[in-house]
Amino acid sequence: MRLSLALLALLTAAAAAVAGAEEPSPGPPATATVQDCLACHGDAGLSLTLGTGETQGLHVDAAAYARSVHGSALNCTACHPGFQEQPHPTVNTANRAEFRAAFRSVCKTCHLEDDRKAHDGVHWQLLAAGDTRAPYCADCHTAHAIAPPARPRARISQTCAQCHPAVVAAYRGSVHGRALLDGNPDVPACTDCHRAHDIKDPRDRAWLLETPQLCGKCHGDPKLAAKYGMSPNVLGTYLSDFHGLTASLHGRKHADDARFTAVCVDCHGVHDIRSVKDPQSTVIRANLVRTCRKCHAGAGESFPAAWLSHYEPSPDKAPLVYGVRVFYRAFIPFVIGGLVLQMGLHLRRYRKER
Amino acid sequence: MTTTPTTIVRFSRRARVEHVAVMSLFAVLALTGFPQKFFPAPWAQVMVDAMGGIDRARWLHRAAGLLFAALLAVHLGGAAWPTLKRRACLSLVPEGKDFRDAAAMLRYQLGTEASPPVFDRFDYRQKFEYWGLVLGGAVMVATGFLLLFPLLATTFVSGQLVPAAKVAHSNEGLMAFLVVVTWHVFHAHLSPEAFPGDTSIFTGRVARDRVRHEHALEYARLLEGRDPEPVPEAAWLALVLAPLRGALLVMYLPGLGFVVVGRHLARRAAAALSKLRRRRPAEPAEEAEPGEPPASAA
Repeated sequence: MRLSLALLALLTAAAAAVAGAEEPSPGPPATATVQDCLACHGDAGLSLTLGTGETQGLHVDAAAYARSVHGSALNCTACHPGFQEQPHPTVNTANRAEFRAAFRSVCKTCHLEDDRKAHDGVHWQLLAAGDTRAPYCADCHTAHAIAPPARPRARISQTCAQCHPAVVAAYRGSVHGRALLDGNPDVPACTDCHRAHDIKDPRDRAWLLETPQLCGKCHGDPKLAAKYGMSPNVLGTYLSDFHGLTASLHGRKHADDARFTAVCVDCHGVHDIRSVKDPQSTVIRANLVRTCRKCHAGAGESFPAAWLSHYEPSPDKAPLVYGVRVFYRAFIPFVIGGLVLQMGLHLRRYRKER
Repeated sequence: MTTTPTTIVRFSRRARVEHVAVMSLFAVLALTGFPQKFFPAPWAQVMVDAMGGIDRARWLHRAAGLLFAALLAVHLGGAAWPTLKRRACLSLVPEGKDFRDAAAMLRYQLGTEASPPVFDRFDYRQKFEYWGLVLGGAVMVATGFLLLFPLLATTFVSGQLVPAAKVAHSNEGLMAFLVVVTWHVFHAHLSPEAFPGDTSIFTGRVARDRVRHEHALEYARLLEGRDPEPVPEAAWLALVLAPLRGALLVMYLPGLGFVVVGRHLARRAAAALSKLRRRRPAEPAEEAEPGEPPASAA
């Protein structure tokens, strides 16, 4: 079968060569090349056996490639240079990882910037450390059926779910995930928080400490806040409280030896963030003390009231805090102003006496 | 001995040690506290990094705070004990004279009184600063403990007291700092009488002439060989009333500045206004002068 296909391809090529000698070649050469390759690689059964005994498929779905973002622009040799020759250049076929690694650097010919970012990402770090499960370009984007990754946006979480099914399942139950599946354009998909190529290790302390700024990109946006009836000041109220102050003063310099301080996700959850209207929310009054106890073991029932729930002190919310603030706002200028006046008179008198 | 010494002992060794201790602790508390209050400012981050991170800065702040609390307790104990034993000494407790002295001093400085009031062992400005430090220190210690042990505190008190304590701690600290850099630095260093610095709190001694001028009543007591400090009749009552009188003076003195200066300015304005009114009737007559050609016609 395989032999007869190769023979067919050879014959087709020879026929084309003969035809080409008589008149200019029909159609663009790129298409012709794709067709040439598909003569063999269009066969769904085309495969080779790797050193480990595994089977590596070599079939390319012609229709899927034609629909892909590259289908109308690139021929096969743009990504597989030298493969127009028979026999093809040698590729390491010891195992699946080596075979895939052989094609890993082809994308950066055009997508250098994304490749550079991916080298800063956690997936590349894992690959470099020898973890062959970690994905690179083609594992997320596919090799030949490359489509715009965020069309529709829900596709992003499907891509990540291939390796992170539990995380994506939790996300799909969250306030963000459910809205994303409903087609809401404002909620974050995986890559909005984790980024697409320069994905940071989520255990990285410096990155964790930047969580408030990350969430604040949307939750500090007055337009989004007005649209969904949310407070636009959740970031400011967090930062001025003990946890936020600690997170911002840890900065980058001392991020690594930072003791734990709560950032957004420690109270609200990471992928399973729920609306405060959801009875399962970790931050509503009924559940808050349990959330506090994650860090403050033995917290009593009145301990959560020490946190003002992102409210600015006002006569309605936290009247005591508001009262103390108003008192000092008046008292400090009163004391300092009164004393400065008297020091002024003291000096005035002294100057007159001299 | 016939020769009179040129200096007089004013502060005991204990008072001098306490001053050095409170001065150093105040500096540490301010240096470690303000970067936390003004955390968004770039200098705050620089200071915190210089101290080796926020965690270390906080432990420094807490250690200094605990020492400050201990110092306050030792000081108050040391002040209360002799009072209870009827051996001394309420010379720092404000009395009616201090409130009158403050007003008299301002009138003198404004020129409506010929001579300044004469003071006893401590004048009203020194008493103000002492009680500001003691009462402000008590606020700082109380709110500081609430912030240091929020879990323990909220088993006894409402949770909202914790953020309220934070607002109070941060503002009281700022006010204490501002009072020190204005009032204290002025009276201990910058005022013409003290410039470049009053060293008596470090040496314990003060020039005899200064006591004669600045604490005339005390000087008279010393000459007569009387006790420098009055012994209270009812020691317990005196101890309870002392902080209340102190609080009254702390509130009264800044207010007096506004009242006296305000009244002085109002009087001057009224005087200027009445002067203007007296001059005004003459003006129409000057304008009505006939036959005067316009300046442009010349």
